[in-house]
Amino acid sequence: MKTIIQAKGLWKELDGTKILKGIDVLVHEGEFVAIMGPSGSGKSTLLYNISGMDRVTKGEIIFNGEDLANLDDEKMSNIRLNKMGFIFQQSHLLKTLSIRDNIVLPGFKANSNTRENVNAFAEELMKRTGIDHIADHDVKKVSGGQLQRAAICRALINSPDIIFGDEPTGALNSASAKEIMDIINQVNVEGTTVMLVTHDTNVAARADRVIFLSDGNITDEIVLGKYEEKSLFERKNKMTQWLIKQEF
Amino acid sequence: MNINLKILKNDFKRNRAGNLALLLFMTLAAGLVVVATIVVTQLLTSMTGMYETAKPPHFLQMHKGDIYQEAIDEFNSNYDGVTAWQTVSMIDVYGDDLKVYGDSEFSLSESRLDIGLVKQNKEYDFLLDKERNIITVNKGEIGIPVILLDFYDINLGDTVELTNNGVTKEFIVTAFVHDAQMNSTLASSTRMLISDVDFEDLFGKVGEIEYLIEVYFTDKSMASDYQTAYQNEGLPQDGQAVTYTIIFMLSAFRDIVMALILILVSILLVMVALMCIKYTVMASLEEEISEIGTMKAIGLSFKDIRNLYLKKYKIMVTVGIIIGYILALILSNVFTDHISNTFGKQPISIFTISLPLATCVIVYVITNHYCRKILKKLKKVTVVDALVNGKGFGKKERVKDGLYKSKKMSVNLLLSMWETLHNLSGFVLVFLVMFIVSGIMIVPMNLLNTMKSKEFINYMGSSMNDILIEIESGENLNNKYEIIKKLLNEDTDIKEFKEFKRVRVETINSEDEWMNLHVDSGYKAGNELKYIDGRAPSEENEIAISKLNADALGKSNGDSIILKFNDLQMNFIISGIYQDVTSGGYTAKSIYNFAGIEAKKYQFTVNFNDDVDVKEKASEWNDKLGGGYDIEPMEEFINQTLGGVSRQLQVTTIAVVLIGILLAAFIVVLFMKLRLAKDVAQIAAMKAIGFTNYDVRKQYLCKIGLVSIVGIFIGTFISNILGESIVSVTLDMMGIGISRITFIINPLIAFIILPLILLAVVIGMTWISTREIREYNIISLINE
Ligand SMILES: Nc1ncnc2c1ncn2[C@@H]1O[C@H](COP(=O)(O)OP(=O)(O)OP(=O)(O)O)[C@@H](O)[C@H]1O
Ligand SMILES: [Mg+2]
Repeated sequence: MKTIIQAKGLWKELDGTKILKGIDVLVHEGEFVAIMGPSGSGKSTLLYNISGMDRVTKGEIIFNGEDLANLDDEKMSNIRLNKMGFIFQQSHLLKTLSIRDNIVLPGFKANSNTRENVNAFAEELMKRTGIDHIADHDVKKVSGGQLQRAAICRALINSPDIIFGDEPTGALNSASAKEIMDIINQVNVEGTTVMLVTHDTNVAARADRVIFLSDGNITDEIVLGKYEEKSLFERKNKMTQWLIKQEF
Repeated sequence: MNINLKILKNDFKRNRAGNLALLLFMTLAAGLVVVATIVVTQLLTSMTGMYETAKPPHFLQMHKGDIYQEAIDEFNSNYDGVTAWQTVSMIDVYGDDLKVYGDSEFSLSESRLDIGLVKQNKEYDFLLDKERNIITVNKGEIGIPVILLDFYDINLGDTVELTNNGVTKEFIVTAFVHDAQMNSTLASSTRMLISDVDFEDLFGKVGEIEYLIEVYFTDKSMASDYQTAYQNEGLPQDGQAVTYTIIFMLSAFRDIVMALILILVSILLVMVALMCIKYTVMASLEEEISEIGTMKAIGLSFKDIRNLYLKKYKIMVTVGIIIGYILALILSNVFTDHISNTFGKQPISIFTISLPLATCVIVYVITNHYCRKILKKLKKVTVVDALVNGKGFGKKERVKDGLYKSKKMSVNLLLSMWETLHNLSGFVLVFLVMFIVSGIMIVPMNLLNTMKSKEFINYMGSSMNDILIEIESGENLNNKYEIIKKLLNEDTDIKEFKEFKRVRVETINSEDEWMNLHVDSGYKAGNELKYIDGRAPSEENEIAISKLNADALGKSNGDSIILKFNDLQMNFIISGIYQDVTSGGYTAKSIYNFAGIEAKKYQFTVNFNDDVDVKEKASEWNDKLGGGYDIEPMEEFINQTLGGVSRQLQVTTIAVVLIGILLAAFIVVLFMKLRLAKDVAQIAAMKAIGFTNYDVRKQYLCKIGLVSIVGIFIGTFISNILGESIVSVTLDMMGIGISRITFIINPLIAFIILPLILLAVVIGMTWISTREIREYNIISLINE
């Protein structure tokens, strides 16, 4: 299997405190990796550093054969635009634009497809995520779940190699969370690599592999294998026991 | 520590940029307003103060030739309202005759001012020193008028040598003369003070005698009626007649122009300051919306919360005003230098202290009121809005779909235009500031350009020619006329010349009384002047009259007037009204020849072929003709009359342009600071989805650039159009005969260079301000 991200010896210091303490991570193409761990353990920090949104203090992150630590803003932005998608706990859509405009914006920016094609793809994504009826609404006048779907559409508009998510369902009720996770699983099945930070066992149970982070170190991981809906209950049990072992 | 001070201190720490900006604006606005007030009060008190001591005449008639004092005495004793009169003799000499030996050696030949040697008067019309003491000079000493110091480097202790008519006499400069009535380069003469002994010694031996017939009334405004009566009586009048008002206006002109600009700029600056206050207040309210919500939730009333904020702004405004006041007091010297140089040191009076203070209070009251108005918004915010819905004070940001419809436009430009168009209210500050700053810069610049322009002379009632020759000495007038005419006819360098004869006729004024009218008659008379109304006379029975005459006669364009001369009455139609400040502003132009009436004065306007050196020609003629002829190269004339005004205006204008640019730069920085703070989350989101720092910076550049271009564009046009009316109205109110001024605009400067400089500064500052975006950490922003 091809490697998409390989991080070696990641150190991150913020204001003099060491937050990541020499982490090694390897993610394969098409894999779905979840990151769990106590609050403050450095999960978000790890995700942002691996995705090149933040600069590591030490270490290297090879993404598709390139070391992100050495890229300038221009190249890094370009990778974020074309190869990566992001979903945050809050949707972080641009407030002055409609749902649809928010989704097409990175597509227009990337300029690798005609605007007609981008528009058509956005329409398709919105249909799939069930927000096509509110496409032209103000982002301040739709629900949290709808916003999160829009954020997923935006993350997918340039057909990225990998999607990063920092508790994408954290602000949602369980019904909405399930719908969002179904979409993410679907995207993963179609070939996009996924890397998520989560507190939620229901979410983590959908991953191929779960990494446990504690005080800036990876302390354990569990391999669950490709997700199938019917085995969810089993996977959750497995997860729970594993987490008890981690004293989580 | 006082609880309010504590809150204030914390607040100041938290919102340093906004608060500093507020402080700075108050300082600047208050400072400028105070400077403007100081200039105006200083000017008025200095002039009144000086006039009190110096006692310049209410009516002055200059006269060259014989004088019959008994006739004047008799006329004055019988004229109601005359309180005093005196006839001052003056020995007129030429600049050539005076050589100065000091650090360097030079003659005063370049000066266009007629130089008169006088002795100190006994009761009226004193020549004063800088401390407003009446100067006394001893034998062998001389007092030099301060206005000459603008052009010449003369120091106390220098020697001035007078050589004329075979007589040579040396004087030591021991004083600088502050002359209440002849202290402007706009006047035609200037007086040097010598001792009584030297005066008697030289009297009749050198130069030419000129008399100043000076009259004082119970009421200064009686001067113009008196003038007509005086002239009709046939009393000595071979020379200019001026009234107190004209003396006052000519003296004050230069400083009035400056005060005008200062007032204009300070008003605009107060407006900018108020806008900035609104912006910073709104920004901090917006930022503290949840605190405000909490305060409301725990039961504080609108008034409580408002007072909390108001107190803070009151303190800052007060501090700003105090600093501005102090700075203004320190800096005002720069602006009042000319005033104290010309009118002498003005002891500090109750006005000079209380008026600036009063304006400070007014600024404070206005600002305070304005803050109250802004803070009213606090009333409308509900707890739920503030805490739950996160709804701010701003107007609803409208969102419309449509970005996706765009076909080609680059994403950065698209996004910038989009956000600007849909959130215009967020950029009003930038727009208005650019609008106002372009006005601040362009109006004085146009005024300056107008004053420096050759055509400006047309507003003054003269036409622009290479050389103007005037002869007005009584006795040999016609003789001299023939000499000049012969000279001009024979000179092959001349392209063309025109001659005008000035005659005095009578006409009926608005009060149905006969009054004198001076008419310049000749071929194409009045052709090159600026007409407020109508045009130059083209028929024999037409006449153009100056604005002041039109007012005095109560006539307007197209009316007919009766002229009485040589026991003849003739009807003339007014063909046009022009502006004039020459000859006291009361003139008229006609192409009728008025044959048989005695000429009061002849004027020749001469234009040369190209490549003739005008100055050389003037001095050649001067040498050839000797005294008694006034041969004036016009360019030199303009330079010397208006040079002082335009130089001062230039300094003021440059200062104003710099202030404007600094202001624009500063406001952009302030705006960007507040704006970026507000936009962090958006910026982070954009960076997260793949926009580079450069993209984000370009977007700000586009937004600010777009709004500024519109602001500057509109500001440039409006100020180029409206500025004219503002200046015209002000000049009109001054009553010196100019009621409308058409700006002579240098399109390159007014429409291109200034706006481009402003735009470049704005864009540069935006670019610099957005540098901090590079340091933004996406993560910490997203997590906020
Ligand atoms: N800008 C910062 N400066 C200093 N320390 C920071 C900064 N951001 C985060 N930290 C610290 O780094 C540690 C890891 O933070 P991080 O956000 O990665 O934790 P997390 O595992 O995502 O926690 P949570 O589950 O609560 O989201 C925390 O102890 C936090 O206090
Ligand atoms: Mg986190």
